[in-house]
Amino acid sequence: MKPGRFSYEAPKTLEDALASLTARGDNAKVIAGGQSLAPMLNMRLARPEHLIDINGLKELGQVRLEDDRLTIGALTRHAALSSSDLVHHYCPMLAYAAETIGHYAIRQRGTLGGSIAHADPAAQLPLAALVLDAEIEIRSAIGTRMVRARDFFLSIFTTVLDPNELLVAVHVPTSRQREGWGFRLFNRRAGDFAIVSVATTLELGDNGAINRLRLAVGGIGPVPVRVEDLVTAEVSETGLEGWSARLAAAVADAIQIEDNERTPVEFRRELVAALTRDALDQALERAR
Amino acid sequence: MSDSNSIPILLRVNGRTHRLFAEPRRLLSDVLREDCGLTGTHVGCEHGVCGACTILVDGAPARSCLLYAVQAQGNDITTIEAFGAEGKLSPVQQALHEEHGLQCGFCTPGIVVTMEAWLAENADPTEAEIRDALSGNLCRCTGYHNIVAAIAKAARRRREETVK
Amino acid sequence: MTGTKAIGAALPRKEDYRFVTGQGRYLDDIVVPGCLHAHFIRSPHAHARIASIDSAAALKAEGVISIVTGRELEEWTTPVRMAPPIEGLQPVEFTTLPIDKVRFIGDPVVCIVATDRYLAEDAAELVTIDYVVLDPVPDLDRALAVDAPLVDESLTSNLVSRQSFTAGDPARCFAEADFIVETSFNQHRQTHAPIETRGCCAIWEQGRRHLTMHIGNQVPHPFRTQLARRMRLTESQVTVACPDIGGAFGQKIALYREELTVAALARHLRRPVRWREDRNENLIAASHAREDIARTRAAVGKDGRILALELEIVEDFGAYCFYPANYLARVVAMILTGPYRISDYAFEMKIVLTNKCGSGPMRAPMAITSWIMDGTIEAIARRLALDPIEVRLTNMLRAADLPYTMPTGLVVEDVTPRETLHAALEAFDIPGFRVRQQNDRARGIYRGAGLCCVVESTTYGSAFYKAAGIPGSGHEAGWVRIEPSGAVNASVGLMASGQGYETTFAQVVAEPLGIDPNDVQIHLGNTDTAPYGMGSRGARGGTAGGSVLLIAAQALRDKVLTIAATLLGLNTSGELRLNASRVERRLGGVWTEAGLSLADVAHVAYLDPLRLPSGMEPGLEAHRAYDPPPMTFSNGTHMCEVSVDVQTGKVTLERYLVVDDCGTVLNPVIVRGQQQGAIAMGISGVLLEEVIYDENGQNRSGSFADYLLATAVEIPPIEVISHHTPNQKTPTGSKGMSEGGVMGAIGAVPSAVNDALAPFGVVADHQPFTPMYIRSLLRGKKDQGARND
Repeated sequence: MKPGRFSYEAPKTLEDALASLTARGDNAKVIAGGQSLAPMLNMRLARPEHLIDINGLKELGQVRLEDDRLTIGALTRHAALSSSDLVHHYCPMLAYAAETIGHYAIRQRGTLGGSIAHADPAAQLPLAALVLDAEIEIRSAIGTRMVRARDFFLSIFTTVLDPNELLVAVHVPTSRQREGWGFRLFNRRAGDFAIVSVATTLELGDNGAINRLRLAVGGIGPVPVRVEDLVTAEVSETGLEGWSARLAAAVADAIQIEDNERTPVEFRRELVAALTRDALDQALERAR
Repeated sequence: MSDSNSIPILLRVNGRTHRLFAEPRRLLSDVLREDCGLTGTHVGCEHGVCGACTILVDGAPARSCLLYAVQAQGNDITTIEAFGAEGKLSPVQQALHEEHGLQCGFCTPGIVVTMEAWLAENADPTEAEIRDALSGNLCRCTGYHNIVAAIAKAARRRREETVK
Repeated sequence: MTGTKAIGAALPRKEDYRFVTGQGRYLDDIVVPGCLHAHFIRSPHAHARIASIDSAAALKAEGVISIVTGRELEEWTTPVRMAPPIEGLQPVEFTTLPIDKVRFIGDPVVCIVATDRYLAEDAAELVTIDYVVLDPVPDLDRALAVDAPLVDESLTSNLVSRQSFTAGDPARCFAEADFIVETSFNQHRQTHAPIETRGCCAIWEQGRRHLTMHIGNQVPHPFRTQLARRMRLTESQVTVACPDIGGAFGQKIALYREELTVAALARHLRRPVRWREDRNENLIAASHAREDIARTRAAVGKDGRILALELEIVEDFGAYCFYPANYLARVVAMILTGPYRISDYAFEMKIVLTNKCGSGPMRAPMAITSWIMDGTIEAIARRLALDPIEVRLTNMLRAADLPYTMPTGLVVEDVTPRETLHAALEAFDIPGFRVRQQNDRARGIYRGAGLCCVVESTTYGSAFYKAAGIPGSGHEAGWVRIEPSGAVNASVGLMASGQGYETTFAQVVAEPLGIDPNDVQIHLGNTDTAPYGMGSRGARGGTAGGSVLLIAAQALRDKVLTIAATLLGLNTSGELRLNASRVERRLGGVWTEAGLSLADVAHVAYLDPLRLPSGMEPGLEAHRAYDPPPMTFSNGTHMCEVSVDVQTGKVTLERYLVVDDCGTVLNPVIVRGQQQGAIAMGISGVLLEEVIYDENGQNRSGSFADYLLATAVEIPPIEVISHHTPNQKTPTGSKGMSEGGVMGAIGAVPSAVNDALAPFGVVADHQPFTPMYIRSLLRGKKDQGARND
């Protein structure tokens, strides 16, 4: 399986990359880690005329703490994400999610920006970005814009990125005091894309109540989905018995699941219930 | 090979420089095998799943079928040919031989390269960790049992070597 | 007589060095200057007429040398005619490349030859093929429907083969039975997926009108015969040269249409042409296997004794017959009774054609056998509320029953099913497991223990083929040569794809000659030097190949000792032996150095022949052929532990063990490795692998993202416990092995899953056991013994 022909450049500065995208963006693809794009090129499922290799833009590989946010450069490799002290401390879900991606060799090359821009409906990092209320920083030759994760993913493999734009960073609010997180996915084998995945964070209030519950589910449609209108019970610690199972069942019942050829809707609904319950339990455990 | 779209490419592989002329779309796996004459890196799927084509790029494992040769300019590439070349097998190579961790041998170079790099970062792994690290390399012959034993043995030997 | 013991030694493999250092020589590693590259354009439709092919634009593309279709190949080659004289088997014939219509998605239609593969794929996009799409036959049910389209229009239906058989009086047994138990087994379509795909390189030398075919093929000589015939050449004009092979498992036996096309193109163009199949092609268009639906009906006595057994088996053979259509299912039907005493037996088998890739033998083509037989026994146990182990023992052959003639006429001897069963039970510790199972069930964790008793048919001597009506032989050939220096070279007609022949056969040859296996070099795969043998398949390598080499080496040993006796001035060689490359003589009951080395004797044999015994030919070379018994059997008992997550349906293998009897073991490390590899392939098949065709005949599993192979995480540690007893009928005493592991895993895993799910009152009988399938069984069901939810 050999790719179709393309011309190639490896810009040395971000400005050069953006200029290229402006000039050729309609017929070009950006390659970072290549772990998702190269298979599509090799199978001739993607046919760009021009490949813009951004691996030389070292400034995009930084992780920085800025006030209450973690700014993670688009070129940060999954392996770097999962081993970064900053990420472990300020955004542990992201570190964990990155560790579950593919295999050891894949994680050396795959990037955060690449994963988010590729927008595979089953991917871990888009799901995490969504539930963490991340902001996606997008640059073009004419300027910068920030897009909330919840507005970024439009459909399968489709985002708001214009052909002349480059995803340069992801900004993630740092996790709060007494915030716990849960991240669960179901796959057939180690390292496979998830069939269904669930990410959640919650905060425990002083009175033992659960505040600020955030939940997102992946694998049930063309994009990961934030589950809104969640009931957060004002309950004491002992009253939390069975809470996660009840909420998980409610989420699974209500969530829209799009039919696909591969995995029956009913099965995925059951996974949503099982994974949500586990993720909530995990989050609760971590919050304490 | 097509001349009309070929460009000059300089690759540094196992410490040697290779000057070649190739289209940007040529896979690094093909260039290593055909232009550099290093046929130890094997091609099993060309979509990054089987792991047979794994090499090191600046010391980190990477699927050479998911890299275009032109991308690898400026990197230090290490292939299987760098291991055990001068008659002394590397710890993983020696252990695979002793534990019968190979049969047809086609997946073996990818495993050697991946696990030598992984053991450098994971000196005292559990069996579960070894299996997880190995899960990115498909083997159709051995059932993995002996490969896992070989990696554990290699890890032990590397630790002993470090102590010395 | 020798003093050296090489057979049975746990020698590390001699061939490893080149493989661990990446210096193996696989097909694509062979540099052929000026070689062109072939690439096939394949049908995107499951069933369609080829209306027109326009390659004018493609011919002008950069690097393109030639573009051919079925029409050119029809001139250059003969068609395949698969018409063995087997009752109930319809003869079929097909051209090298399809001309009139395509029969499955992936069917090769056009071949482009270009200066490299990239350019060939570019050119392929410029070829226009007009198809008239036909209604597909996407599955077995459709194939058998009265109004089904015909996959092969020379036949009157898609039922390409139908056989039935009866032994004893099953009808009477059913009439008198206390119970009649019916069970069904659905096995899905799988494919071999060796890590190295198919490929070949054909070099035609016009000067001497000779074809050299570089190809990784399991059966070099039969392949050469086929290739010559199809190209209207004599065998003398063809050399098959096999490099190292990156796995085969039965997928690299037949002469495929792509390979024949490449060879014909090389001759036509008078330039070397090579082909590499990519992974997508390998998964959709190489060879498929295992798609069987089976039903058994057992007449059973109150004590669980099987009075009679009936088998119905239907197989989806795909669109093209590269093998006789009944070839694979027949073995299942013939050996089904396995380790059990059943004399009243009947089977009915049907093989159908569908618009899918054609089927072929995949490591243990009869893999479903043990699942069917032991699964039937487990169904009997459930129905009669008996212990399934007791039901097995009630029906199992005893040593006193051997040799036992199966109802199908096959003779089973030298097997130890009871012994391996008891040894497995002891090693597994069922009582301990039951305690854990009970405790974990209370916590909502469902564990299961599985069991499968395997009798594996191997080797297949000529008498087997004769009885089956399949033209062909089961013999193997070998030669051994001691060089003037005392070095030893040997060859057999087999070809390795990971079995370690270079080591095991060196051991076999070394032992009678009293030398170090490191001094024996085994040569395989080049038909100019290898003797004409039937090749590597059906777990015959060790028994057929090892036996013939042993016979040849023994003959040479006898010649060497006869010469030595003459040189030593003795009347007889009776008191001489070879040991450590030297001749020893027994004097006063003690073996002592006789003053002659093996090299000394060899020197005389080649370079000083007048000193040889009168009338003896010079040289030290023995060439032998050996025809094994029609079937040899190895046996084993497989056990495993699984845990089933009832919320998600995911099955996890926690533990696996097998107690194995494969006769004399040539090299225990290699034999264990073969067993582990086979078991892993079986586990992978039960849980993960699946060739998926949709209702339009579109193949949905054309990459490794969709066709899932087990990784090191899904395969548990595999414990192999030896319990080998020799076969009395083969020269080496070995029984053949390497496929039983697949049979055992395919039976043991379902047995374990059903044990885990027993509290829910469900039985899993459709493989693969995907989480989706297991959940579909469990949906709406509760643990019937649970105290609370």
